[in-house]
Amino acid sequence: MDYLFQGLLEACRLLLGGDPETYSAVAATVRVSSYAMAASLLIGLPLGFILGHLRFPGRRQARLVVDTLLSLPTVFIGLLVYAFLSRRGPLGDLGLLFTLPGIAIGQTLLALPVVVALTATAVESMDANLRVTLLSLGADRWQLMRDTLWEARHGILAAALNAYGRVMTEVGISMMVGGNIKWHTRTITTAIALETNKGMFAMGIALGLILLFIAFAVTATVSLLRRK
Amino acid sequence: MALYRLNRIIQRYDHRTVLSIDGLELAQGSITGLVGANGSGKTTLLKLLGFVERPAQGEILFDERPVPPLDPAARRSIALLPQESHLLKRTVYANVAYGLRVRNDRKEERQRVAQSLAWVGLPPENFARRPWFALSGGEARRAALAARLVLRPRVLLLDEPTTSVDGASAQLMKAAALHAHRQWGTSLVVASHDLPWLHEICTDVVHLFAGRILGRGQQTLLFGPWRQLSPGKVAMALGETQRFIALRPEKEKTALTAAIDPARLTLLQPGEAPPEGREVMEGIVTRLALDRPTGGIHVVVAVGPTEFSVPLPAGHPALAALSPGRPARIAYGPGEVRWYDQNLLNQASSCESPGR
Repeated sequence: MDYLFQGLLEACRLLLGGDPETYSAVAATVRVSSYAMAASLLIGLPLGFILGHLRFPGRRQARLVVDTLLSLPTVFIGLLVYAFLSRRGPLGDLGLLFTLPGIAIGQTLLALPVVVALTATAVESMDANLRVTLLSLGADRWQLMRDTLWEARHGILAAALNAYGRVMTEVGISMMVGGNIKWHTRTITTAIALETNKGMFAMGIALGLILLFIAFAVTATVSLLRRK
Repeated sequence: MALYRLNRIIQRYDHRTVLSIDGLELAQGSITGLVGANGSGKTTLLKLLGFVERPAQGEILFDERPVPPLDPAARRSIALLPQESHLLKRTVYANVAYGLRVRNDRKEERQRVAQSLAWVGLPPENFARRPWFALSGGEARRAALAARLVLRPRVLLLDEPTTSVDGASAQLMKAAALHAHRQWGTSLVVASHDLPWLHEICTDVVHLFAGRILGRGQQTLLFGPWRQLSPGKVAMALGETQRFIALRPEKEKTALTAAIDPARLTLLQPGEAPPEGREVMEGIVTRLALDRPTGGIHVVVAVGPTEFSVPLPAGHPALAALSPGRPARIAYGPGEVRWYDQNLLNQASSCESPGR
């Protein structure tokens, strides 16, 4: 059990000592997860609004598909994105394999169903009178969507946090699409996997704690924002 | 030019027809009351007039022009206060300013919001900064009205504005709505169960029943059941002791509704015998309401559960003896009712009773 305590000490040393390798992995994680979150919110919020607000034929079936995609395995997304981005794949010419944007594409696919499904639920659970109220005050289509989402902001924030949690902690996509290249595409989770393989438990635990710390910082910021 | 013109409107929810109107016109600058039981289609009609809902069939012309779906242009000169007025999760100020902001009209926003809050009796210095959840039911309803008044709409649609609010709030809301009418010539359409108020302010009253227009004016509706009294007469029980007697309708139908025009009712003086051929009902005066356009008085008399409104000219000697709680006798002619077939109510909208 000694190495657990060792891990804690190591984590402090790495963070406070400014270990460049650790900071490279932290920066890669933060960057790639930010790209993925921005993209999935940009695409997912309008889709979630449409799915939760509008009544159209096939809506239930669409909802079923999105709910199923909530349990997409990360290695499967990794495999798909790898297949598309590899030299022989249809998007091979873009040269995105083993790059951070490549990982971000995979993580966007991972986060998208979470954002869409939970946004749809949040919008659906809004008061039925909200639509009439917004329209009766003169909102157009775009304002109707914007302000319905704003009214559902607490539920949507929960959706975003949930998606962020998945994106931050996944290892399958980062490993397969990113390739765990030191100084380049090594994220915290792939680094942990590597350190564990090497038998460097303390280092792995240290990195795990750093990941938790980042998650805490994000959640604390969001909860502070929510109070306002 | 009519403000609104409705042509063969049908609205359905889940394949159930909730509103069916052959034709209805509302004039610019008018105050129209919508009267009818819960579920008679008042709310649906108001949502259609506010263009927040589209009819399943038919056409609504606003300013003689059709309005494309979700088009904000026409909607922005109309303000609807829904029955369940919903406040956005923002401060009272942001709620009232919302309509101005979606119109991108931020000139003198502060003064205009403060002014409308003052109209509904919510002093801006106390209320503007409050969050949406820190209001009582009556205050929330008034804040919602302020959010409509700030827009200075050409048309203000009010769905039971004074239901479930306290008396003081109701008074403030009524005054604010009339203020809009007088100040900016706003046309009002008001759905309400507050008949004395409607009779006091409205230039026209539309009766709705089961999604259809049953007539216009201040008539009292008698829904039956009607039972045979003698070969030529039918009667409907009013409470335990009273009844309304009418001449049998020509067509034999099961579901018939009778309407009687207030102008056909007369109040009898104490001890006065009814004229030849007229029947008498005994009831209790419940209210006296001023009819602003004529300056006359409406004496509302409850006979059992049904209320009849009898007009009296101002200064009529009988008024001295009339006050709520006093007994009153109404004389009427059994042949003076108008019959409506509840199954064919669409016909009713074309045969209007004499308007006021």
